[in-house]
Amino acid sequence: MMIFERREEMKRILAFLLALVMIFSITACTGKEKEEAALEVTEVETEEATEEAKEEETPEPEKVDFTGRTMNVVATSDKYVTLFDKFTQETGAKVEFLSMSSGEVLSRVEAEGGTPMADLWFGGGLDAFMDAKAKGFLESFEVPEAADVPAEYKDPEGFWYSKGLTVVGFLLNDKVIAEKGFKAPETWADLADPIYKDEIIMSNPAISGTNYAAVKGIIDMMGEDAAWDYFAKLNDNIPYYGKRGKDPQEKTVAGEFAIGIIPVDKSAFDAAAENGLTVVYPTDGIPWVPEGVAVFKGSENADVAKEFVNFMLRPDNQQIVAELDGKDSAQLIKPGVEGLSLGLPQDKLVKQELATFGEQREAILNRWKELTGDK
Amino acid sequence: MDRIKRDNFLENIIYFMVVLSVTLFILYPFLAVFREAFFKDGSFNFEGFSVFFARDSKLIKNSLMTGVYTVVLTSILSISIAVYVYFKGKKVEKIVFAFLMLTMISPPFVTSLSYIEMFGKRGFITHDIFGLTLNTYGMVGIILMQSIGSVSLNTILILSGLRRIDPNIILSAKDLGASTGEIIWSILIPILKKTIAVSAVLTFVRSLSDFSTPAIIGGSFSTLATEAYLNMIAYGNLNYASVINVVLFVPAFIAYLFYRKSIKEELDSTGEAHMEVELGDKGILFNIITFISIFTLFWIGIQYGGILFSAFSRKQAGVPYFTVSNFIEAKPYLSQTLIRSLIYSFFSAGVGSVIGLLIGHFLVIRKKKLMGAVDFVSMMPYIIPGSFFGIGYILAFRSEPIHLTGTAAIVVLNMLFRQLPFSSKLGVEITSAIPKSETSAIRDLGGTGFNIFLDSVFPNAKDNLAMAFANSFSQSMTTIGSIIFLVYPSQKVLTLVMFDAIQSGKYNVGSALAIVIILITASMNLLVRFLLKRRRV
Repeated sequence: MMIFERREEMKRILAFLLALVMIFSITACTGKEKEEAALEVTEVETEEATEEAKEEETPEPEKVDFTGRTMNVVATSDKYVTLFDKFTQETGAKVEFLSMSSGEVLSRVEAEGGTPMADLWFGGGLDAFMDAKAKGFLESFEVPEAADVPAEYKDPEGFWYSKGLTVVGFLLNDKVIAEKGFKAPETWADLADPIYKDEIIMSNPAISGTNYAAVKGIIDMMGEDAAWDYFAKLNDNIPYYGKRGKDPQEKTVAGEFAIGIIPVDKSAFDAAAENGLTVVYPTDGIPWVPEGVAVFKGSENADVAKEFVNFMLRPDNQQIVAELDGKDSAQLIKPGVEGLSLGLPQDKLVKQELATFGEQREAILNRWKELTGDK
Repeated sequence: MDRIKRDNFLENIIYFMVVLSVTLFILYPFLAVFREAFFKDGSFNFEGFSVFFARDSKLIKNSLMTGVYTVVLTSILSISIAVYVYFKGKKVEKIVFAFLMLTMISPPFVTSLSYIEMFGKRGFITHDIFGLTLNTYGMVGIILMQSIGSVSLNTILILSGLRRIDPNIILSAKDLGASTGEIIWSILIPILKKTIAVSAVLTFVRSLSDFSTPAIIGGSFSTLATEAYLNMIAYGNLNYASVINVVLFVPAFIAYLFYRKSIKEELDSTGEAHMEVELGDKGILFNIITFISIFTLFWIGIQYGGILFSAFSRKQAGVPYFTVSNFIEAKPYLSQTLIRSLIYSFFSAGVGSVIGLLIGHFLVIRKKKLMGAVDFVSMMPYIIPGSFFGIGYILAFRSEPIHLTGTAAIVVLNMLFRQLPFSSKLGVEITSAIPKSETSAIRDLGGTGFNIFLDSVFPNAKDNLAMAFANSFSQSMTTIGSIIFLVYPSQKVLTLVMFDAIQSGKYNVGSALAIVIILITASMNLLVRFLLKRRRV
């Protein structure tokens, strides 16, 4: 009797489990189809919505409709949701994105033999984009909105565009500086002073585009030989290099270090306000790097991605980018767009040789590795 | 006759599928890493290894030392807690297990972050309370965090070992005048030797393969697993990443062989009914044990308290205040990934626990020829680092004939087979515990292997199957090590966005996400326990 009951119950559970397994194999393995199906359902609604919208405002002449499509994006951060949402509103294309640093994107695409891992690559140090162009991972295209962007902020052959500049500065932990009795550093040259030993952190430039920009910028600023002498001294003050892009900011905030070498934007100023820190633009020169935007060659929705690049370069959207990125006006690439006022002294930006940014990357990183070992 | 034929045919198909899936999704990616490490353009190439031994061989020492110290510390802590709980009875056990559960179901790197905030150079406890400025980066920090992470599983293993000891041995030793210290030192620990060895091996292997702890709190101290990860992520050097993984595999594999030998003997000893053992006089050793246990639990409490604190607070000019805005900010992260993460984990855990049971069925009861090898291979994912398993999947499935990169399938499969060792170990345990008489009775009555599975194995397994499911589910919800290499934008899961939030400096939002993940895994575990309990009544 007992056994019989148990068996019955067991059969029910088994049937349930099998059903579950089947349901989930369908949902998981045909996830794509499901998404498409779901999109078909929403299509009707969005069409209605866009029609309504069309009645209200005069549509722009080149209005495109990507309803039912999904643009996949690898972006440096998740902060661009607002911009993506606006794109969805205007064109109907859904946006899925994943945050990855630019070096990582390059590594992944290489590892997978050039298979595009998304449609759009949004943000990250230009060096990786230049490298990707050389390796044939990117698609060349032109967009009308890029016409008035200065030549140094777009690839002459249209393989990449820029969305703004990252500038490099210092984050100082006031408490630690006071505790140690330091004078607050103002220049790159200051950082070589042995009193700062073990109190400076920067990220491995192979990982962090920002810190690669710092290295490259200092080379362009001081000249090859002087720069490497300087790095040797700086290296003595740095106990180890962060293995993640945000390490310097996080660890300076936590008080682990007095000085962090960071990308300066509004979020740095916010973190400074929250935690009692100071942001410094070095007075002997501010290294910078354009952040790239590109479309992967052979990707499924390349047309949507290209449209997005055009959309993103429109002045009203550049305004949004400036706000999302927390950029000073001097960090913007589109003429006539106003950014925030963070006090970035434009004249202090290092005269940088952008052309050699990508091609020297490997040589610089190798020499860097020789100098620093694997700390 | 038709029924028997049909059943046998069905069973053979399932058998074939089990063998095929393990071969395809564990062995093949595994071998792909070796191929990448040893071959270049079709010919044998040792270059990567010569570079490694010339330049990076000290990483071996770093990894081994970290592993050994972690094992020693974890063993001391977990033996202490297990013995403490054993003598303190059910009430204490419940409280202790609630604490331990936390470390088992939470994402791996959050403790490292709260460690910096609490014990770092300017940590809240070390610097602000005790006025110390300690450099806690490096090996010490890694060992501490890995030990905290491993202590739960080991305590559970050792405690179940203790439960198998006949209480009469302890009682009669007590009657003969043995002190508590003597009982622990001369009776319990020697009997537990095997269990301790097994848990030590598991800890060692986990420590070797952990890349995130050294990456966050290692400072200039690097390990094999971290370098393998970096070579993949930062330098895009698949060949060198594979080389390091192969090097890392050697000590892990040796430990694993040792483990298999011990676990066999371990399984042969059968359990005894547990009886509460009262201790009269405590003795010095027991006091030390009590101190260690309470200290460890206190520490775990502080670390998780830190996460809770940062999830519910923000700072203004360095002064923290209470807020729920972190959870509000976490909402967009959740809306994109929550459901997807649940589905992935549910699916991989469900299928994984069934495959585990099938492995047990075919190996122990049906004694199929290939199953010894399948069982061996199915344990592999436990000993190879996440990066190994992730890179293996890229190498194996990036091109035809099986092109899976970029699909949801590759992520789910990777989770599923990565968690298989636990499920298959349970499957073997379950089926080994089924009395021979029961299965042969079914056979005598004309039952097929299929009947045995449905009428004997499965009913016997229900409880453990639920356990396997809950465990795999928690692991899949918190895993990051191998899927980080495989996910495309449309497959983003919860742990990844938490990793993102932390990467971009949003500690507080990251902590809020960690709390959400912990709540989900905890509810799943409690639900399973509750269902099991209710059924027993």
